[in-house]
Amino acid sequence: MSRVVTGGKRDIVRRLVHAPLLAAFGGLLFFVTRSVPEVHGGLWTITAIGFLLLAGTLTSELIEPLGLPHLTAYLIAGVAAGPHMLRLVDEHTVTLLSPVNTLALALIALAGGAELDFADMRRSARSLGWAMVVQSVSVLVVLSGVFVAMHSMLPFTRGLPVGALVGVALLWGALAVSRSPSATLGILSQTRASGPLTSFTLAFVMTSDLVVVVLLTTILGCVRPFMDSSASFSLTAFAALGHELFGSVALGTTLGLVIAAYLRLVNRQMLVVLLVLGFGVSTVLDYLQFDSLLTFMVAGFVVRNMSNQGRKFVSYIEQTGTVVYVVFFATAGADLNVPLLRQLWPVALILAGSRLAVTWAAARLAGRLANDPPLLRRWSWSGLVSQAGLTIGLSVVIAREFPGFGASLRSLAVATVAINEMLGPVLFKLALDRAGETSRVQAPSFPSIRPPPLES
Amino acid sequence: MNAILLLMGLLVLSYLGSFLVTGRAVRGTGLPSGVEYVALGFVLGPQVLDWVGHDTLEAFEPVVQVALGWLAFAVGMDFGYAGDKRVRAGSLALGTFGALATGSAVAAAAWFTMRRLHAPGSFSEHILVAGGVGAACSETTRHAVRWIVERNSARGPLADRLNELAHADDLFPLLAVAFLFALEPTRNVAVRVPLRDWPALTVALGLVLGAGAALLVRSDLPQDDTWAVLFGVSLIAIGTSARLAMSTLTASFFMGIAVSLLSRHRRELRAMVAPTERPVLLPALLLAGARLDFRASSALPWIAAAAIAARLAAKVVVGWTLALVSRPARRAGPLVGLSLMSSGALAMSIGLAFALRFPGLVGDTVLVVAAVTATAGEFVGPARLRGALQAAGEIDAPIAGSASPGTAL
Repeated sequence: MSRVVTGGKRDIVRRLVHAPLLAAFGGLLFFVTRSVPEVHGGLWTITAIGFLLLAGTLTSELIEPLGLPHLTAYLIAGVAAGPHMLRLVDEHTVTLLSPVNTLALALIALAGGAELDFADMRRSARSLGWAMVVQSVSVLVVLSGVFVAMHSMLPFTRGLPVGALVGVALLWGALAVSRSPSATLGILSQTRASGPLTSFTLAFVMTSDLVVVVLLTTILGCVRPFMDSSASFSLTAFAALGHELFGSVALGTTLGLVIAAYLRLVNRQMLVVLLVLGFGVSTVLDYLQFDSLLTFMVAGFVVRNMSNQGRKFVSYIEQTGTVVYVVFFATAGADLNVPLLRQLWPVALILAGSRLAVTWAAARLAGRLANDPPLLRRWSWSGLVSQAGLTIGLSVVIAREFPGFGASLRSLAVATVAINEMLGPVLFKLALDRAGETSRVQAPSFPSIRPPPLES
Repeated sequence: MNAILLLMGLLVLSYLGSFLVTGRAVRGTGLPSGVEYVALGFVLGPQVLDWVGHDTLEAFEPVVQVALGWLAFAVGMDFGYAGDKRVRAGSLALGTFGALATGSAVAAAAWFTMRRLHAPGSFSEHILVAGGVGAACSETTRHAVRWIVERNSARGPLADRLNELAHADDLFPLLAVAFLFALEPTRNVAVRVPLRDWPALTVALGLVLGAGAALLVRSDLPQDDTWAVLFGVSLIAIGTSARLAMSTLTASFFMGIAVSLLSRHRRELRAMVAPTERPVLLPALLLAGARLDFRASSALPWIAAAAIAARLAAKVVVGWTLALVSRPARRAGPLVGLSLMSSGALAMSIGLAFALRFPGLVGDTVLVVAAVTATAGEFVGPARLRGALQAAGEIDAPIAGSASPGTAL
């Protein structure tokens, strides 16, 4: 997604042309949405995809001189077009766009897995191990503490006994431990970065998914007796978790081998194959109650490390995924609950700020313990700030388990994620730029333009 | 059928379709019109096996609209060009005249049949049916000539001329659709526009959006961003025109024309878009087949028969006109016009667009007649085209096993 660098004057002229065109397209949709009531819900959803795609792409180009990541531009475009600002895309449409998220998450996990090199991971196992332990423990403990300290500002915790308050705080801590694989991959897709910081962040973020799922299940099992006097500690949830994790890994391995065989033997029409994986396999995984992120990540990992098709596979995903990522993040922007953020911003800001501080401090400590090189010690925290769909998904699980306060906790999570979602990518891109890992290779343009990988 | 299962089926069909864009596959399997996929859809649809039910079809309507819009956009980008060569002005004029003559003849035949048989439906519905059938039956599929040329290694002035005609007859039917859709504007539009202006607005919408897209891709955007612009603007054109109850096909077609005319990267853009056409078309044809309902009207068999007969007659007349201006066409004999009998993608797209816009009597009738005409065209068009090219000396010798019309395709 990196842009062709041309003369400065030409770039300015191009932006001067593109900005009014974007405004004109937005104006057309504004006029249509105001003058004609919605009749065919599904069709307008597709129109929304079109506009978010266009607006995200053009906004990323327009704000490029500011050095902001494209992902931030996609989010801004989504927020502007979303139900809380211009209302070109309403709440219902945002909900209907969930299949795009399914596809995007599948591609993100596949790409993330396929970027993980086993040899690299083994070399940096010490760094990863220390970082995982220190980050997870410190974020969990400190954020839980901050939550307890702030309980007077949180109406839904008033009147809770101390045990229950600590339980809710621990759940918050578990949410704070989660990261955003999608934001990480989104930034890496744009910058085409490579180097130790890139490898570390990717490996950390992708494997932290596993840690967070186990952590949340453990905490849910432990705190339930504090919330509900009739409940008792049970290991049933762990049996289900084991089934989910082992099943996901097994299915992911099989899927990875099938993909590798396909790439080796057929190697055509990967666009359609990726669509089938994104929609069809995700539905099967949903039915089996397996973790789709883990399954696809393992599949990508197997393609990369158990065959020689990894590079080719990543290239296909990048070609297909770019368009999907724009819509995915623009939809995430449209889904941002701006009024809620306006209402909860002081609390959300304190919680997000605390998390940022703890993440930074934990990274420094883990870097020292693992004897990391200076580059990692300095910047390894930067890719761990983003939060997005995974965190919100986990908050939905909590809301389902604890209907009493779960909805309020989810709202707070949404508000905090909104801040981290906007801030995290900016910090990560800044770190990659400073670390010198951002690629200088230009994306192909005319006249070398070629069809997408329908035919390879 | 579960929507995800159907989606998977359509993706598999797209997968197969994407193999059919290569020359080798063109010579190997399939019919120019793709009616075999319509037949498959009909068998899977509610009228036969009911594996693809009404609910599923309804759920997939937005996808079908997008497929139709994208196809029309691809047709628009290709309009006036046969491959990389610009169609000659004479061919453009003759193609448009041929479509106009054929469409008018078919519409008139359908109209008189309905009035004569006191077919069910109001006066305005009869107008819509006659117009829709005329629009759907006026074109010759762009793939027809390529099919024969590829499979028989035909080269020569007649093959070139017929190929150009097949690439130059899309303007009339799509304008006709815009007019017909305007006859029943949406009642929800808050803006009051005179009825006669709706078709012009449809065309203007497509041209303006196309000009915007052309301006955006003009500045050497990276490949990914070019896709984003083309997809994005196309989806905006499709959604906006559908919401305003305009013809999605027409708006997208004119958007394609504008992009093609105004972009200095026409060839590259065409190279990007062309391979997507077949993979999008086949699922659309399958869904069109699933929507076929032969019980739409008691007069349906007669309307279909009249449409086929009128199309045959009109094509013969078009052939005579062609023979007046083209020496190779004269050598091909008086029935050279029947070479242009194959209809297909655009005809079915128009039928499907009518089925979505006017569900019930009007839409079902137009869709069924489009499908029946495309099927009938397979029995006449390819065989006559081969015969004409042989008579003109552009195919060396009769191809073994190709005597039976259509079966060798």
